[in-house]
Amino acid sequence: MRNRGGLWYSVTVRDRHGKVISRERRRSRSMLGNWYRILYAQMAFTSTSMVHTSGINRGASWLTDNWKFKAAANEDWIGIVVGTGSTAVTIDDYKLATQIMNGTGSGQMRHLASTPGSPSVVGSDCSFLTSRTFLNNSGDSITIRESGIYCRCKGPTYYGYANIVRDVFSTPQAVPDGGSITIDYTLRVTA
Amino acid sequence: MTKGTERKQQPRKAPKKQGRVLKPELSYKVEVTDKDGRVIAREEGPSRSYVQQWNEIFQLQGGDVTSGGVVKDVDGVTQTSAYRSSRSFMCNAGIGYDRTGLRVGKDSTSVSISDYALGSPLAEGTGTDQVEHQLTYFTGPSVVGSTLSFTIQRSMVNHSGSTITGIQEIGDYIEFTAAMYGRVALGFRDVLGSLFSIPDGGAITVTYTLKVTA
Repeated sequence: MRNRGGLWYSVTVRDRHGKVISRERRRSRSMLGNWYRILYAQMAFTSTSMVHTSGINRGASWLTDNWKFKAAANEDWIGIVVGTGSTAVTIDDYKLATQIMNGTGSGQMRHLASTPGSPSVVGSDCSFLTSRTFLNNSGDSITIRESGIYCRCKGPTYYGYANIVRDVFSTPQAVPDGGSITIDYTLRVTA
Repeated sequence: MTKGTERKQQPRKAPKKQGRVLKPELSYKVEVTDKDGRVIAREEGPSRSYVQQWNEIFQLQGGDVTSGGVVKDVDGVTQTSAYRSSRSFMCNAGIGYDRTGLRVGKDSTSVSISDYALGSPLAEGTGTDQVEHQLTYFTGPSVVGSTLSFTIQRSMVNHSGSTITGIQEIGDYIEFTAAMYGRVALGFRDVLGSLFSIPDGGAITVTYTLKVTA
């Protein structure tokens, strides 16, 4: 039996009629160092250095909002995010390589709201899902090659956002005009 | 002491679960020292045993939950008003404080996802089967190659007057917030591969390493 704990992601692409045209599901290998930097700050109730999505080292400290990745519609600075970059993941990544911003212009996608579900226990697993859909109303096809999660965070002084997960797809996913892509991340612990 | 007993202790290996593929993102080391500080027993291995409260508290944070979260505390009470907090996961327990931080116990029941406490944790003190909990010590995150890790460590000293036998479980008690600060939940628990005994005047030191590899 394989150990099923960890982070999993799935990608579903639909055309303008809602028909599924591509799917990918994999174990994410790309929980980033920032995830654990925030965890350290919370567990030890202290501060440590951490580069925010701004590219500036504003640090990580304990905070009520730490790890918040619940996102409202049109928010492209928090929650699940997608991009066109394919640069290999490194432990110190602090943002996507080439993020797709919210909108309907060229190379943009509309970001829908995203709320993590409640944890559920099945057998020896406890997991919860967070999902976000991006609509392509740009007038042209957009090829997605990466996804990730941006969360709220705070350093000793400044609030900000941190990239805690980044994955590069094994297969680039072309989203046709009028279509959508849905990214699901499942965080699971297994006893 | 004979030469044979002076040889460096070889780490015991945790029991393997056959057929499992494990990426050891959480691992532990346990060392017992005698009153002179000599290591007399040691075990290390991968931890497989985050329990459900870990994910539940993480969901409070990720989901920006402001009320109504459900987390069972170490007393077995299901708290139904849990919410996100700056104190979530906090376990930097001080000297003599056994409500949070790393704990050891004598229960050997296999870990279950629904475990909410150690089965039989040793209490703080100098009485029978009690230990004195030392400061919980962290090393900060460090990156080596494509891996980031940090550690949490705590020693527990036996001044009970006699050997404490049968120690077989370790785990971490972490804070969360529900209606008020200071609720405590089990974050992870491991059952050791063999029984440990702490001689009078000796100590047991538990170290967990939390690691992520990109």
